[in-house]
Amino acid sequence: MENKSGVKKPKIECINISKYFGEGREKIHVLDTINLSVEENEFIVVLGPGQSGKTTLLKIIAGLYRPSTGKACLDGRVITEPGPDRGIVFQRYTLFPWKTVMGNVEMGPKLRGVPRKARREIAGHYIKLVGLSGFENAYPHQLSGGMKQRVGIARAYANNPEVMLLDEPFGQLDAQTRYLMEQETVRIWETEKRTVVFVTNNIEEAVYLGDRIVVLEGKLPGRMKTVYKVDLPRPRDYTDPAFLELRHRITEETELVL
Amino acid sequence: MDKQACANAPVAEKKPRKPFEYIAAVFKNVYVLYAISIICFLSIWDLVAVMKVFGKFMPRPVEVLQQLGDMFVHPLAGKTLLVHLWFSLKRVLIAFVIAVAIGVPIGLSMGFSPYINAIVKPVFDLFKPMPPIAWISLAILWFGIGETSKIFIIIIGAIVPCIINSYNGIRLVDPELYDCIRMLGGNRRQEILEVTFPAAFPAIFAGIQISLSMAWTTVLAAELVGAREGMGFIIVLGMNLSKPAMIIGGMVVIAFTAWMISLAVTRLERWVCPWKTNLE
Repeated sequence: MENKSGVKKPKIECINISKYFGEGREKIHVLDTINLSVEENEFIVVLGPGQSGKTTLLKIIAGLYRPSTGKACLDGRVITEPGPDRGIVFQRYTLFPWKTVMGNVEMGPKLRGVPRKARREIAGHYIKLVGLSGFENAYPHQLSGGMKQRVGIARAYANNPEVMLLDEPFGQLDAQTRYLMEQETVRIWETEKRTVVFVTNNIEEAVYLGDRIVVLEGKLPGRMKTVYKVDLPRPRDYTDPAFLELRHRITEETELVL
Repeated sequence: MDKQACANAPVAEKKPRKPFEYIAAVFKNVYVLYAISIICFLSIWDLVAVMKVFGKFMPRPVEVLQQLGDMFVHPLAGKTLLVHLWFSLKRVLIAFVIAVAIGVPIGLSMGFSPYINAIVKPVFDLFKPMPPIAWISLAILWFGIGETSKIFIIIIGAIVPCIINSYNGIRLVDPELYDCIRMLGGNRRQEILEVTFPAAFPAIFAGIQISLSMAWTTVLAAELVGAREGMGFIIVLGMNLSKPAMIIGGMVVIAFTAWMISLAVTRLERWVCPWKTNLE
């Protein structure tokens, strides 16, 4: 994606975004002048503790919230509402409980009016990609947390979005499943590259996944503190000295204890 | 991912059991305990009847059974037991269908539109706590002692849970589900069809279920006043004829019917919302 002058245009651009919730005395300042640009197919991690406004930032990019000042752009167009060009994965999974795995994953294409046979094919492809073949007819309540989130990822992918937005997707999983899902995320992303914005409060997860890590300050309003570039080759090793060193550095500099 | 390793499970050890452990095992069986419960209840009842604790107005269980058999074969006020039951059921069904047909749309529109809700809610909140039986006198003055007044009272009783549950069902849909469908590209119409209705359905269905049992409770109250047929009539007749076996027999049939209805509804629910009920 290059414009006339040959300069690479960012996929996502956040320009001077601030966000307030509430009115008057109950007004809360959640985000303060966020400036961020994300390249196409870049995996960017927004790292911050609870209550640092990182989910708010994600929802602004999603179009679910409007920024109070500034703007978020996708391919140079201002984002004003949610749309299928951005796929989202929620922390609480948020699957449709009355739909099977297949029903959930094919929902995006169904809403676009893709005929049944074609959308089953698309959904089948992504169910396979996330490793859930054989569970097409299971209902969400029959699945474990990790499997539910695989459905969430497949559902977002099935709409063929340009951008994937993940909001602490593994926050509710146990440590073991979390590692597995992180590895799966990298595998899936390398198979089907997308621009990814991944929100987390876990430094290790951030270092494992991100091309760049954007650290938000630990209290409201969320401000951008530091941006780290992660040059380690994938798949990364959690115990690699370079990995541990970066993890250590981020921990010290951000004064997060996790 | 679903592979549960059973290989390492310890093999159940076989211990020689003492005789009294066998007896203990028998008394840990739920069905044995159910049987004990029922036998104890019937025995105490029989004892109370034989000892005439309540004077002559306490029939023995056997007498109730005989009375039921008698009513089953010989007409009472021109109708056998099943015909009386049918009259009550018919009233319940007519009123129930009308209550659902009116109540669910009212509740839904209250859930969808805050303006409709603001108009309906104060009046509804005023009427909601009034017991349906309180309407009997008024209903008789308005509609006479015919079918209309009975159906009216049952509707009053059955409509409330329909409205409340439909309203709450719509209102309490997880808002993140709406975020989700909007991110997937859904428009307003698709939001309602794909999220609002399916998400609210279990609550609405539960309301309909409560509504049905309310209708069954209310029909008896309605029949206690000026009915010539129905289960309520049998109970009143039993009182007037000083035949307690007839009253208790009527109560047993009422309870049994209510039980059957709720079994059928549970089955129906399992069929219409499989995602909710096939939890193991």
